[in-house]
Amino acid sequence: MKSGERKTLNQSDQNEFINSIQSSFKNTSYNFDTLKINVDISSWIDTHKILKKDFNLSFFNWLSAVDWDNEVKTGDAPKEPVTPSFEILSCLSQTNSNNLVISSTVISKENAEIESLVDVFAGANWHEREAYEMFGINFLNHPNLTKLYLPDDYEGNPLLKSFELISREVKPWPGDVDVEGMPEESIVVEEKGS
Amino acid sequence: MSQTMDPNNMPFLSEASVSVEIETEDMTLNIGPQHPSTHGVLRLVAKVNGEKISSVEPVLGYMHRGYEKLAEVRTYPQVTTLVNRIDWVSGFANEIPFIAGAEKLMEIEVPERAQYIRLILTEMARISSHFVFNGAFPLEIGALTPIFLAMEDRERVLDLLESVTGGRFHPNFNRIGGVKPVAGAGPTTKKDIQDLPAGFYHDTKVAMEKVLKAVDTFEDLIGGNEVFQARTKKVGILTKEVAEEYGVSGPILRASGVEFDLRKQSDYLPYDKFDFEIPIGENGDCFDRWSVRTSEMRESAKIILQAIEDMPSGPIQAKVPKVIKVPKGQTYVRAENPKGEMGYYIISEGGLGPYRLKIRTASFSNISILPIMLEGALLPDLIAIMGSLDFVLGDVDR
Repeated sequence: MKSGERKTLNQSDQNEFINSIQSSFKNTSYNFDTLKINVDISSWIDTHKILKKDFNLSFFNWLSAVDWDNEVKTGDAPKEPVTPSFEILSCLSQTNSNNLVISSTVISKENAEIESLVDVFAGANWHEREAYEMFGINFLNHPNLTKLYLPDDYEGNPLLKSFELISREVKPWPGDVDVEGMPEESIVVEEKGS
Repeated sequence: MSQTMDPNNMPFLSEASVSVEIETEDMTLNIGPQHPSTHGVLRLVAKVNGEKISSVEPVLGYMHRGYEKLAEVRTYPQVTTLVNRIDWVSGFANEIPFIAGAEKLMEIEVPERAQYIRLILTEMARISSHFVFNGAFPLEIGALTPIFLAMEDRERVLDLLESVTGGRFHPNFNRIGGVKPVAGAGPTTKKDIQDLPAGFYHDTKVAMEKVLKAVDTFEDLIGGNEVFQARTKKVGILTKEVAEEYGVSGPILRASGVEFDLRKQSDYLPYDKFDFEIPIGENGDCFDRWSVRTSEMRESAKIILQAIEDMPSGPIQAKVPKVIKVPKGQTYVRAENPKGEMGYYIISEGGLGPYRLKIRTASFSNISILPIMLEGALLPDLIAIMGSLDFVLGDVDR
């Protein structure tokens, strides 16, 4: 058993990594310390192969999806109108630094299918099964695309924005009434100890 | 006598060679969902050939509560009560990445004292989680004694957590921009002594000394036990390549020789101010996974002792609007939880609650390697391998 050496955050290394990603991929963004690459659906697999091989992003973190829709049954709709679509997100990282990349691609709701990542990262298996049952997205060439959490005879895809949360329909959330009169303008509380 | 035992002289055996193993058919063995070593309700459908496992298919979902959906109909402060219940053995640690993510989107600077309190309580959650592991893992493979010692010492740490937060398992203590003030203290109170109970520093010192002693005891009692060593050494070896491909994180990844700890690599809490080491393993077997976690308890106790020495004074809550509205944006914030990397991908559309909250939990990825690790393993090793992964079903199913 040996002990790790003390490592400090290296900001210049991180900036270098972000610059190299931004020069290799056209459509990237870096907001709130999160580096995101937007790719076309046709290059979804190749992007992950490149990230794994050339950028040392060998740690498969997670994969999930987002249901972008203007008409929602639960929660709040987006403030600005969006094009109804599924956004697939995947997260890869390195195991010797804090570098991390979110890859994103958009697929249409009518033809909700995408190549499976299992051949590139075997760990994508369960994540894709979860996205399949929660959103109804079909992952092509997946070895075992069955429901992960839900019972086999379950109908519907719960994380769709069109899927109603029945408990909320039966009984309104008590949180709606426990704040006395929601003020429109934000009130700043006095800072403690100042 | 030996002549008669020669198979060539036995006519009834001469047609089939004796060296041929007896062919048995694969039997399907259902393990769980109610099984003491599954830490909850995990079901495994195993195909066994005699004592050997040929394949395993984990069946999840008995604990699925749909937190990602529930988060979409809650406001940001309400979500913290949910995330407490993901990994209930270390409830406090679950709050940190979510709160840190919301603060990042709102661009709030958290006061130093609040960050220190968060850090101390996170490390206490880590110690209490590893105490449970040090009790449960030997218990599963037949050592009954350690759980009594571990539970007693864990209670001391939980008492401290309770004295600060009011909850042993579900503290719900973090607020966006800081931590919860003590009852009666309120956001305008000038006395900063009111955020921690009287005698907290002294009690913490006592408890941490006990933790350090308990770690020594465990290393003798568990690690020095020959039976324990025989059951865990060279059992369930996980290589770092497989671990990385499946997103296995935390102590399991470090036991496979990867030196990766977000406490060193990331800046979600001020860990860079403290002197501590990251224990890593060499073989990636069950023994190393136990050993890494046990050594981690010592490092956590060291961090807490340093943190209460140079605890800064000042406010525990930043200026925040009365109604929390998170501006439009997306961010992923992750933290080193006792079980591994936990992260939240928050998509905010500027409302009172998140538009979508992806919860990345450690145990989910950690047990996704079960089919690979258990293939070809012996049935009694199944319990040792599962125990060494230290998962919680709430963390798997969400």
